[in-house]
Amino acid sequence: MRQLGMVIDLNKCIGCQTCTLACKSQWTDHDGREFMYWNHVETRPGKGYPRDWEAAGGGWDGDSLKPGRLPRLAEDYGIPADFNFESALFHEGKQPLRPLDAMQWGPNWEEDQGAGEFPNGYFFYLPRLCNHCTKPACLAACPRQAIYKREEDGIVLIDQERCRGYRYCVAACPYKKIYFNPQAGRSEKCIFCYPRVEQGIPQACAYQCVGRARHVSYLDDEAGALHQLVSVWKVALPLHPEYGTQPNVYYVPPLSPPAFEADGKPSGKPRIPDDYLRQLFGPDVDAALATLQQEIDRKSRGESSPLMDMLIAYRHGDMFRLSRPEGGQP
Amino acid sequence: MERRDFLKGTAYCGLALAFGGPFTPLRAFAADDLKARRAWEARYRREFLATRGDAQGFAFHCSNCQGNCAWKVYARDGVVTREEQSAAYPSINPNIPDANPRGCNKGIVHSRQMYQADRLLHPMKRAGKRGEGKWERVSWDVALDDIAARVVDNLNSHGLASLMLHCGTGILSQGRRAAPLRLGSLLGAQRLYPASAVGDMFTGASLAYGLATVGHTLDAWFDAKTIILWGINAAVTRIPDAHYLMEARYNGAKIYCITPEYNATAKLSTDWVPVKPGTDSFLAMSLLHVLFRDDFIDRDFVREQTDLTFLVRTDTGDLLRHKDLRDKGKDDVFFCWDEATGSAQPMPGSQGHFKKSLRLGKLQPALEGVWEVKGQDAAMIPVTTVFEHARREALKFPPHQTHATTGVHPTLVERMAKDLAKSDKAIVNIGFSLHKYVSGTMTCWGAALACALTGHAGERGGLDTENNWSLGGIGPLSSPKPARFASGFFSEWMNGDMARSMKRHYSDAHLKDTLGLDNQEIGALTGRYAETSNAWFGKPRALLLFADNMLRRNKSEAHYRQAFVESLDLFVDVNHRMDSTALWADYVLPAKSQYESWDLRGELGYHRFCNLTVPPKGLKPIGETKSEWEICLLLSRAIAKAAKTRGLIAIPDPDFLETKADKAAPVMRDLVNLAEDFTDHGKLMNDEDVVRWLMQNVPAIAPWTPEDAMKHGYVTLNREAGFNSPLYANRPFHSFEHNVYLRQPYKTLSGRQQFYVDHPVFKQLGCATPTAMQPLRPKSFPLAFWTPHTRHGIHSQWRANAQLLRLQRGEPYIWINPGTARQRGLAEGDPVRVFNDVGEFFARAKLMPAVPPGAVVMDHAWEPFQFRERLGLNSVVAGMLSPLELVEGWGHLKFNPNWDGNMIAFESSVEVEKSKETAA
Repeated sequence: MRQLGMVIDLNKCIGCQTCTLACKSQWTDHDGREFMYWNHVETRPGKGYPRDWEAAGGGWDGDSLKPGRLPRLAEDYGIPADFNFESALFHEGKQPLRPLDAMQWGPNWEEDQGAGEFPNGYFFYLPRLCNHCTKPACLAACPRQAIYKREEDGIVLIDQERCRGYRYCVAACPYKKIYFNPQAGRSEKCIFCYPRVEQGIPQACAYQCVGRARHVSYLDDEAGALHQLVSVWKVALPLHPEYGTQPNVYYVPPLSPPAFEADGKPSGKPRIPDDYLRQLFGPDVDAALATLQQEIDRKSRGESSPLMDMLIAYRHGDMFRLSRPEGGQP
Repeated sequence: MERRDFLKGTAYCGLALAFGGPFTPLRAFAADDLKARRAWEARYRREFLATRGDAQGFAFHCSNCQGNCAWKVYARDGVVTREEQSAAYPSINPNIPDANPRGCNKGIVHSRQMYQADRLLHPMKRAGKRGEGKWERVSWDVALDDIAARVVDNLNSHGLASLMLHCGTGILSQGRRAAPLRLGSLLGAQRLYPASAVGDMFTGASLAYGLATVGHTLDAWFDAKTIILWGINAAVTRIPDAHYLMEARYNGAKIYCITPEYNATAKLSTDWVPVKPGTDSFLAMSLLHVLFRDDFIDRDFVREQTDLTFLVRTDTGDLLRHKDLRDKGKDDVFFCWDEATGSAQPMPGSQGHFKKSLRLGKLQPALEGVWEVKGQDAAMIPVTTVFEHARREALKFPPHQTHATTGVHPTLVERMAKDLAKSDKAIVNIGFSLHKYVSGTMTCWGAALACALTGHAGERGGLDTENNWSLGGIGPLSSPKPARFASGFFSEWMNGDMARSMKRHYSDAHLKDTLGLDNQEIGALTGRYAETSNAWFGKPRALLLFADNMLRRNKSEAHYRQAFVESLDLFVDVNHRMDSTALWADYVLPAKSQYESWDLRGELGYHRFCNLTVPPKGLKPIGETKSEWEICLLLSRAIAKAAKTRGLIAIPDPDFLETKADKAAPVMRDLVNLAEDFTDHGKLMNDEDVVRWLMQNVPAIAPWTPEDAMKHGYVTLNREAGFNSPLYANRPFHSFEHNVYLRQPYKTLSGRQQFYVDHPVFKQLGCATPTAMQPLRPKSFPLAFWTPHTRHGIHSQWRANAQLLRLQRGEPYIWINPGTARQRGLAEGDPVRVFNDVGEFFARAKLMPAVPPGAVVMDHAWEPFQFRERLGLNSVVAGMLSPLELVEGWGHLKFNPNWDGNMIAFESSVEVEKSKETAA
């Protein structure tokens, strides 16, 4: 089995939400999927989307599935608001433009809030999508075996003809990246844009990422970003490795400018606390950040750094290696 | 499906169901089973193909966005399905990251925006009072005939200047914008400078360079060693190019982000510089202090490229001029103290000097010293240099003293100054937010001086306000006859009676204390400007408004609206959507939007590509919308008809003279032949003709054709595109190479980078050379108020887009520091009232640790119709303008696109309290 993977560089993610809307317009703006954001970008620290997903259970405890809770539409996902354009704009009166149903939450509700206390507040952006895990809890949880991994690329799919909408998978996914479609009566999720990938076109979220934050390659492609950043340089890490599902989307952790001491002097330390990043990415995050800084310092001194060159990514097209290792461009 | 059914269907999700327990082990499927099993995958493949549609065009989004990105637009059965960035720009150099994919969250939802329910579909005439919301649908013919009749009657009764035809920054492309510009120019209508009307003039750069927009293609960031981002939140407002910043960081650059609140750009920087709002000019002076104090000065550069060697009279504070030394001498020839000859010598390259070069030859101009020069009346004139003045001023602002004012620790200032000085290439980006303070001119001018002292220009980087290309050749299209160019900020000030708004918020004592002038003195300056400036002004009686949300962005919005709109006999709004301004019109005319007309855009200098819009073949018109070109063409026919009916052939315009048969004669505004003139006798009948014309007539676009552009949606500009440097094929663009390498003079009075302005108002305010100016917000209300650019709109475009509102909270909210909120009993999500003595608005609170205490911050440009009572955020912003920007007729400070003033937006104080009712 080959595995297609993705690395998202959290230093390059600027929270522009273009990827969110690329996915939305490619897949989820019709037929009961309107509330779903197969890819979204949340601000961290925060409760995320769906709200409090990290406290909603799922994932593995050894080889047992841990119990999980289903998110609620209005409170946890947020109703995808329609607006009163007609009455606000084309009728008498001063009624303001408002959502028809009051928004209680949304995929970007906590934008730029983060944590800390001024002037040491901090935040960063965390794009999330299905991780197309190697040991998917969703696949194991489905009593109808409606979920499978494709041999040729490891993409995890929910068979839309076999699924009966029981939602064991929604609860089992510790990342809460499966959504129940009430109109179809089936569960759906990110499909890693396999119809695009099969044509040599990268995933919409990746290709259309304006920050150039995403790399896509097969895990066994030794020249590709996945192998280089994950296995060789070890600067790309899984999100919540302790969930046990072995995700195939990895993250380059965020650097940050220094916090200030009481008199306003910049301290030597980045403002995002180390232990917060360890909570997200595990203990390897310290070494990853150190490697990043070390390689940046090499560039400052005018020395070469293949790692920095890979993260800089001089040619946008080279960030996406969808062919076999010996093949050419998409 | 119905929304209620949708919600019912998700009722299961309302139960906190817990699933867990034993799992079914993975089962391998036999090969045949597998194939059958996977047949369903065709479903999503069909969906993907459906989004690719049956036709594909190209587009960019030409509203006041300075990104200019190439997109592919897909359509099926004449309806747009989706857009995706072309991502086909070439790599210009293997050592510089390429420009792909560009784009952003706004452009990517235009496929939804264009069909959204706020779209104007039909011409409508108001059926009640202005702004009442009563409309009747009328046909195009009825609308245009009535409008034309009223325009002609207005011109006849009140003269040509009583018509204003303004195309705002909602359209900045060369194609679509040409229509209203051309029509207005033929009629001699008032035309506002749009950059000034929205408050985006970089007057600090204008002082230094004679140019408001200077800088680089943004790939120039990549190999800079120090980047100072000053009042520019590039990660939010330069989305398509922001990647170059992180790439520069990975390449070893130091990045300083100077801004009061921690934001997405601060996040990617090596240092966030948390300057207190409105104190940036003090920070600039403290940087200059370090440079002067530690002699981090490139003296050769300064001697040749700046006016720091120019002699200043210490008796009057004026520059020493030729007329001081010779009877009937020139007032635009200046002097240095030549160390070679021990005498005052004229400096070549200045406006009045015959030698148009900055080459010094044998001259050795001194930077430091005091001397005496014999005047034309034989009296000795004491003189020193501009350098001495600039240094003396800077030495007043040591970093450990400015710390209390700016909030910036001296360690940071020292480090920034040193990095700027020691870097071979350094770029200082000035954002649009700085000139929203009156002090912004000083901040920008001070930053320009810092770049000059450290020798940063040309390939070594330097100041960057915004690079624009020189797309010559457009004049005959957009300005076939002389137009009444009007100052954006000044017209809005007068038309909106903003002096009264200013008086409500700023007492004379406070203004005198902080600015140095009281309300009356500022009034006198506006009077002087009115008398001496070339700018047209005067309340129009008829307004044809294209792509501009005038009644949203003007300060003290209700006050402005009352003063301005009430004076109009006719108000026509040409727009693709109902915005807060169109709500008040007499007529709304539905325009096509991006994707629907041919268009071309290349003036924007962040990159070197000129993008094309070609609608997908077979795209169905939306409602009765028409392209701006067609609207203007039909209007010109209707005006011609109305004129003919009234026996009015043409109106002479003696304010503009042309030579006819060797005699000066007034320009004739030909009404009866208006349509023939508009179409250039049938050559320019539609938007496609205009784009083809542009590609044939703009030298910087040669040799490309529309067919070349249709391969990937763009063409590459050639070497001619740069104003003051060549655009090389394989390198980022940097400004001022002609000045630095060829020693061509700058477009300033001194012919050099200018850091001394001896205009009486500058001297009176102590600003003859860069200095610090205080923030002006009064103490009558405790909180500062500023509104940085949002990422969820380009000004008000897309602000009411449903997809983007779902990625926010659906309605306007303020950002407030949790401590400031707590003091007022405000919790997350609470309805709030923001108020002062100018007005009030209602919103909800969002608690942000990133925002400093003592402030209300709001991401900008929410439509007033998104607020309770239609009171937008500008309701609490008082009128204010900069007296320095009112200066006219001094050297290069003459009204033109490079010298015009700003809409001051960030100098008001407010208070906030919990609102008594819900903000519904």
